[in-house]
Amino acid sequence: MTAVEPTTGAGVPAPVASSQTSIPSERIAVPERRLTWYRVSEGATPYLLVAPLMILVAVFIYWPLIYSAYLSLFDWNFVRPDKDYVGVENYSRLIHDSHFETALRGTAVYTLALIPLQVFLPLGLALLLWGVSKSRLQNAYRGALFLPTIVAWSVASVLWLWIFNSNFGVLNQVLNLVGIDKVNWLGERNTAIWSVIMVATWKTLGFHMLLYLAALEGVPRDYVEAAQVDGASSFQVMKSIRFPLITPTFFFVLVTTVISVNEDVFAAINVLTDGGPFESTTNIIYYLYLQAFRFFQIGSASTVAVIIFAVTAFFTWLQFRFLERHVHYG
Amino acid sequence: MFARRQIMLAAHRRELRETRPNLLPNGPFGQYNVASYATVRLESCPARAVQAKERRTEMINRRQFVGRSALAGAAAAGALAAGGRALRPAAAQDKTEITIYHIWGTPPGGTPAATPHPMTQVIDAFNAQSDTVTVNSVTPGNYYETLQKTQADIAAGNPPDLVSVPWAFIEYGIEGLGLNELPTVAGDRFAELQGLMSDTAWPLVTKDDKVYGFPWGLSTPILYYNADLFEQAGVDPATAFATWESFATEALKLQEALGGGAVLGLSYNKDWPAQTIIQCNGGRVMNDDGSFGITSDEARQAMQTIADLDTAGLYDRSGTNDEIRANFVAGTTAVMQASVASLGGLNADVQYTLGTNTWPQFGEKPVIASTGGSFLGSFTKDESKFPAVTEFLAFCGSEAGYTLWNKTGYVNISKLELEHLPGQEPAYAQFDAGLIRETNWPGARGSEAGNAWDQYVQRMWANDISVEEGTTEALAEIEEITG
Repeated sequence: MTAVEPTTGAGVPAPVASSQTSIPSERIAVPERRLTWYRVSEGATPYLLVAPLMILVAVFIYWPLIYSAYLSLFDWNFVRPDKDYVGVENYSRLIHDSHFETALRGTAVYTLALIPLQVFLPLGLALLLWGVSKSRLQNAYRGALFLPTIVAWSVASVLWLWIFNSNFGVLNQVLNLVGIDKVNWLGERNTAIWSVIMVATWKTLGFHMLLYLAALEGVPRDYVEAAQVDGASSFQVMKSIRFPLITPTFFFVLVTTVISVNEDVFAAINVLTDGGPFESTTNIIYYLYLQAFRFFQIGSASTVAVIIFAVTAFFTWLQFRFLERHVHYG
Repeated sequence: MFARRQIMLAAHRRELRETRPNLLPNGPFGQYNVASYATVRLESCPARAVQAKERRTEMINRRQFVGRSALAGAAAAGALAAGGRALRPAAAQDKTEITIYHIWGTPPGGTPAATPHPMTQVIDAFNAQSDTVTVNSVTPGNYYETLQKTQADIAAGNPPDLVSVPWAFIEYGIEGLGLNELPTVAGDRFAELQGLMSDTAWPLVTKDDKVYGFPWGLSTPILYYNADLFEQAGVDPATAFATWESFATEALKLQEALGGGAVLGLSYNKDWPAQTIIQCNGGRVMNDDGSFGITSDEARQAMQTIADLDTAGLYDRSGTNDEIRANFVAGTTAVMQASVASLGGLNADVQYTLGTNTWPQFGEKPVIASTGGSFLGSFTKDESKFPAVTEFLAFCGSEAGYTLWNKTGYVNISKLELEHLPGQEPAYAQFDAGLIRETNWPGARGSEAGNAWDQYVQRMWANDISVEEGTTEALAEIEEITG
């Protein structure tokens, strides 16, 4: 039997959808113009679907980034009609600014202290909770540790402001019971930054712990059981099976913590210490805030923003470059 | 738009249900595809197919339906808008609306006070009596937040009509934010406005012989004390506050009565009380010629006085104003410096007898305090609003307006004879002795210079740096910032 060649309305042979099928050819005859439109629309659809998001990202992330870099070359307050072009003066001024240096020191302390506290401590807690059998007790622990995450930073900070109060704060009252003299937690250089770090840890611990718990839940049981049958100890199971399989979560927590750790503590600094005493709790984000919204120096603030972006991007690249190879994606 | 479409569809569905009850689906999604569903139902029954074909011409498809609904909706919206305009009272149509940003109302998210702040009372009273102007009150937060919002709105091309601008920011208001000159705003009524307020107040809003605002909230830092504790400790306030020397001696008795701990709390930003303390010793933070006087012997001696109190454990090192105030209100410190405008709030909060006093003297030198508070400045570039702004300012300075405002605790700087509030006496004594305007840090980076000085004051008073080093380093930094 000779197959009828499909044609378009104009008598032009139409392409056949599949030469392997035995569908009657009359049913797959498609006009060329319609097929072209189909191909174009099929190719364009994914781009059209992501276009709204890309436009939002471009407008609210990339454009401000580019505009910040541009503004960092000017002396301007956002209001004056004329911007004074100052070249790289804003950058060179920062190098000689002792307050910027203090802010950098604070940034280093927050980063070095909070990365272990926000990356490893939640992991330890997750492992401890993992050990607790599935019960209401585990849910209660999980709920109690996660609760601070859902409290707004400003609310949490105000709460801690009064917990830390040297005269009638709960913390000093408790310490007093065990014979420790009252401590001026927020008023002394040595204690203020650690008070802020304590609040930041308390606030973010639960979220990271929950991520780890979810990752631990995702470890296939048969791997663990097979290892146990072979005589692996709990430590060996953890070291060789569980931890490698949760490294994607570990890596995610590490990268996001490095990116956001200094931004996260901003509200706590603002409410608890206002950057003091003697700028000891200031970090680079708070410095940027001061430049932009207290001193109205948009050029300087943009300079700081550009530096923050560059440094954060560099550290993120470093992590991907050197740590990602150790991540097991299953 | 979506809601209106839903209403129209529901109405159409109701109509179909009444006229063709057997055609409509009862499912929850019936309202979305009335016509098509009805058509399918009709065509699925062969006996009715012809009838359906006939009826199809009567029925509308979804596109037609949406189109007609949109037309109807637009018509209804137009009618509503026209009706709304027609229904609006004629008086409201003529009223000019102006907006004032100030610090005395309820910030976003806050709980309004049971008794509205006097500023709110002034605005409400004005709105109640004016047939031509409505004032909208906005409280973005503290002075910094108010200026931030002002700046953001100016940048967005929508400058606020009036703003409470701190005296210390008059230069920035002029240079950085384009503050209007008051005679430009008030026009012929400028002389009337001038006549409302005290002659001593106008220089505070004048720069290079040009008047930039309406003097409004004039405060000055005073000392508040726990009178019950003084009595308990056997300390006479007159003796304690006579000189800094006597204060240091008597404060030890107060410290003992408190069971240890700090006695004196000085408010943030610390450069504000520092200015008064330096001036009381004959020094100046900024001299009349624009140079800085913080390294003078008088300034250093004054700064050392507080550092010595800290050494004796008498100075409250708390890190925020909230804590300093809470310590005083709770009775864990005995003396606190704050603005006279805090009088009403403190009176309401403390559970003991509240006393007020002027600053202690340095020997025989007079107490010369600084000003605080703010003036009302206009930023709008819309000249049609100038008369409305002027009308409101005239009301503020009138007896009806200023009597309400005077309840705040600010010093009366109007020409009205008003009774002083109990506790305001020290502020008036300092006012009569002559106040010096809060430091206006010069240049585009003035605010940054002020902050640098504030940081050094904190460090010197808490003995984190010696007074000599602190003042020297502060001067170098301030000069570098201000150029």
